Amino acid sequence: MTQLKYRIKAFFGKPSNILLVVFLVTLVVLSLIPLITMLSNMFTIHLGTEKKLYRMEVGSYTLKHFQRLFAGDDWSRVNFWTPLINSFIVACGSGVLGIVIGGTVAWFITRSDLKCKSFISSVFVFPYMMPAWTLALFWTNMFQNSKVGGGNIGMVESVFGICMPEWFVYGIFPMIIVIGLHYSPFAYLLIGGILKNMDATLEESATILKASRWTIIKRITVPIVLPAILSTFLLIFSSGFSSYTVPVFLGSAVKMFTLSTKMRALIQAGYQGQGYIIAFISIVLGCLILGINQWFTGKRKSFTTVTGKSGQVSLVKLRGANWPLSVIMIIFTVFFAIVPLVSFALESIIKQPGNYALSNMTLDFWVGTEGSTYETGMISGILLNPTMWSALGRQVLLALVVAMIVGTSGMLIGYACVQRRGTKLSQAVESLAFFPYLMPAMSFGTIYLAVATSQNFKFLYGTFAILVLVASVKFLPFASRSGVNSMLQIAPEIEESAIIFGTPWVTRMTRILFPIQKSSILSGYLLPVMSVMREVALFTLLVPYARYLLTTMLFSFNETGYSQYGSAVTLLIIVVIIIINNLTNKLTGASFDKGIGG
Amino acid sequence: MPEIILENVTKRFEKFVAVENLNMKIEDRGFVTLLGPSGCGKTTTLRMIAGLETPTSGRILIDDEPVFDSKKGVNLPPNKRDIGFLFQNYALWPHMTVYDNISFGLEMLKWDKAKIRKRVDELLALLRIEQFEKRYPAELSGGQQQRVAIARTLAPSPRVLFMDEPLSNLDAKLRQEMRAELKRLHSDTNSTFVYVTHDQLEAMTLSTRVCLMDTGVLQQYDPPLTVYGKPANKFVASFVGNPTMNFIPAELDQVGSKTVTFHMLGKKVTFTSDDQPEKCGKKLLLGVRPEFLPIHKDGPIEGKIYSTLPTGMETTVQVKCGDTMMTGVVFGSVDFPIDSPVNLDIVGDSLVLFDAETGKAVAYGRAEIE
Repeated sequence: MTQLKYRIKAFFGKPSNILLVVFLVTLVVLSLIPLITMLSNMFTIHLGTEKKLYRMEVGSYTLKHFQRLFAGDDWSRVNFWTPLINSFIVACGSGVLGIVIGGTVAWFITRSDLKCKSFISSVFVFPYMMPAWTLALFWTNMFQNSKVGGGNIGMVESVFGICMPEWFVYGIFPMIIVIGLHYSPFAYLLIGGILKNMDATLEESATILKASRWTIIKRITVPIVLPAILSTFLLIFSSGFSSYTVPVFLGSAVKMFTLSTKMRALIQAGYQGQGYIIAFISIVLGCLILGINQWFTGKRKSFTTVTGKSGQVSLVKLRGANWPLSVIMIIFTVFFAIVPLVSFALESIIKQPGNYALSNMTLDFWVGTEGSTYETGMISGILLNPTMWSALGRQVLLALVVAMIVGTSGMLIGYACVQRRGTKLSQAVESLAFFPYLMPAMSFGTIYLAVATSQNFKFLYGTFAILVLVASVKFLPFASRSGVNSMLQIAPEIEESAIIFGTPWVTRMTRILFPIQKSSILSGYLLPVMSVMREVALFTLLVPYARYLLTTMLFSFNETGYSQYGSAVTLLIIVVIIIINNLTNKLTGASFDKGIGG
Repeated sequence: MPEIILENVTKRFEKFVAVENLNMKIEDRGFVTLLGPSGCGKTTTLRMIAGLETPTSGRILIDDEPVFDSKKGVNLPPNKRDIGFLFQNYALWPHMTVYDNISFGLEMLKWDKAKIRKRVDELLALLRIEQFEKRYPAELSGGQQQRVAIARTLAPSPRVLFMDEPLSNLDAKLRQEMRAELKRLHSDTNSTFVYVTHDQLEAMTLSTRVCLMDTGVLQQYDPPLTVYGKPANKFVASFVGNPTMNFIPAELDQVGSKTVTFHMLGKKVTFTSDDQPEKCGKKLLLGVRPEFLPIHKDGPIEGKIYSTLPTGMETTVQVKCGDTMMTGVVFGSVDFPIDSPVNLDIVGDSLVLFDAETGKAVAYGRAEIE
């Protein structure tokens, strides 16, 4: 007995063990319990529509939800199979498009003598910083017209008089374009990083063995970059598959659903059971994709980069094509990075959509007071509107609280996991902290909705606290990964030499370990701020009312057709994000396109 | 037959001059090493001959054919120069097996399958890597990767083989082994080798000629023993040889037709050379290799033991004579107590006299101390 007591005491004598146990318990509670609640909700009858439809007791177990969803009749086709196929096509298409665009730009920036490289590089990654739906909103602002959807007139129609066909404005095609473009900077950063770090001698030795440039690209460059391309594809695929905001903007006007928009529609229409099943399917798919990715990158052909005298890359001379190509690249990047901002600014000051005459312009949507604000359901322009300010205030507060929690937890998890690396406990905490990454935001919101509507946790429903909880868990994976990575870089001797001086744990952390990894820890705090500021899907089901947060407010504007307010709020969100990003740069020196730009 | 000629080759990166006005002739079937400290322009020179780097100006001929000529605008790409290149980090393609790596160059030459198979087998046997044929580079050790890289380079039987510090990533023992193998390979393959290294021992042991460079400028281009025995200047003398040459400060008295007299360590010295000494200033340096500095009880130079470093086969002895530290090598294991007085002699006829100001060699010969 004393033996056991002694061992327990010794175990908890190490701060890292205490941390690990605390995080293990917390993470089990915060991610496994919701998951189990959701699983059980897939088999139970809920109050409202389901109770009436099936004439069964609330809470009784049933397989009816599965039958309805997978039956194969019209209901199941409309509510499951078609959205599934749509999601699949969108995910595949955007994955391919993202890689083609990102890869092409990466090749030009790293391997050719293109002009204005640093400009193209920094402007090209800009859309990745903005929320994905900004591009979707931009797309509709540009191409909507009197013949399709809601009939609002967009910029192209009003300036050139051209009405784009419906498939171009709404549906799968624009979704692929928007998601593909949004994630192409991500492909660019990954592929570009590899192209840049790839030893030039690998290609040079093929040149000497008389291989043509095309053969080199085909047989050497592409195969070496291929693992990265595939894993990029899978990541874009899963992001595209679970994307919620883009299909809302580009699908709802023509009643086109993907799995994630359908999930929300089903839950809001009272078919919770079926909604939860879709959420579960998305989660399984997420796990599957990560599994494929890990299996693929772990194969024997994959390699560790041997560094040698590289950096002596001879750039491909584009000769005559250089200027035209550079100009095309600049126009392309500017169109998708800067023009949207201009368009939002413009859209937010016109009274009647589609009319860009000076007489049709007004600042009322920004600073108008009661009476001048066009029956918009708002009592004043957004800058004078208390609802907007409290929504913005809540979102910023949420971002800060979440950042504090996530940043600190990530750092502590990093410390504890590295200290006890190799033990089962540390592995369990590390993978639990990573687990939410596999879950699409919409599904994750759904899981928490299931918890908040269950008997035991009713007090959480519609509170600020549940938003903090869901966001903290959802954004933890990145922070814990970067915490682990930054702590791995510190040699154990550094802490040990302080232990020998008898320095207490807290002092060791605050005086030695944190200052060493200052910038990466700081970015662990700042990135969740960015994520919260642009998140919609995670919160949309959990907010007490739509105008509770700025991002959900924006979506309610969109759903009710007040595009001017929508554009104004979008612009506001982008401005906040840019400020945070610049702050991050200043404080940490980290930047989106660092290490690749020309 | 391939003979490589460089005429006034210069390479600038922005303002930095990597190679300046280099003139050199590499004979057919020679084994030439480009030697120098890091950053001296040797790799750049190699890459320019191979065509991986474009010179700023000058002319390069391989086998009487100009492959680069800045005046006529000739610049053949590397694949038209019929060369092989062995990179420092091997540059094996990680996604191909050993077999695929070696056969790649032959496929590019459109050889038929059976012929490729035969040639690859030959090379696998030559480099003793038959059992690794189906492995990927990541599954090989450094030495094995090195052999695969050599096999890949040799496969198309290039007439000229360029090597960029190919042994520097290997451990000491393996390096020794590969050195011997490279030398064999050179005589077996009948081709011209151009080899970059910063290791003077490698240059001495392998090459037929050493091209010593410093800060982009050619210092000396001679057979290794000439470089060792008759260094053109102080830089060459101190770069080649280990332990390094002793430089003893001296004051010039008189220059005769084949003699120079000077004062050194408080003694009068007469230096006799076979040739007329070059012009020189008042201040001189007498360069003495450690092996010409025996410890001798009748030796004219008195000093105190500073340290002895026995290795077994030989012992390096450092002796302090006044303010000058001198290093000698004694055959066998000897140990002297620190600070014990010893007498040194200067022997041999491979001493070098340098001008202390310019660093240039003034005369080669023997010295007599009074």
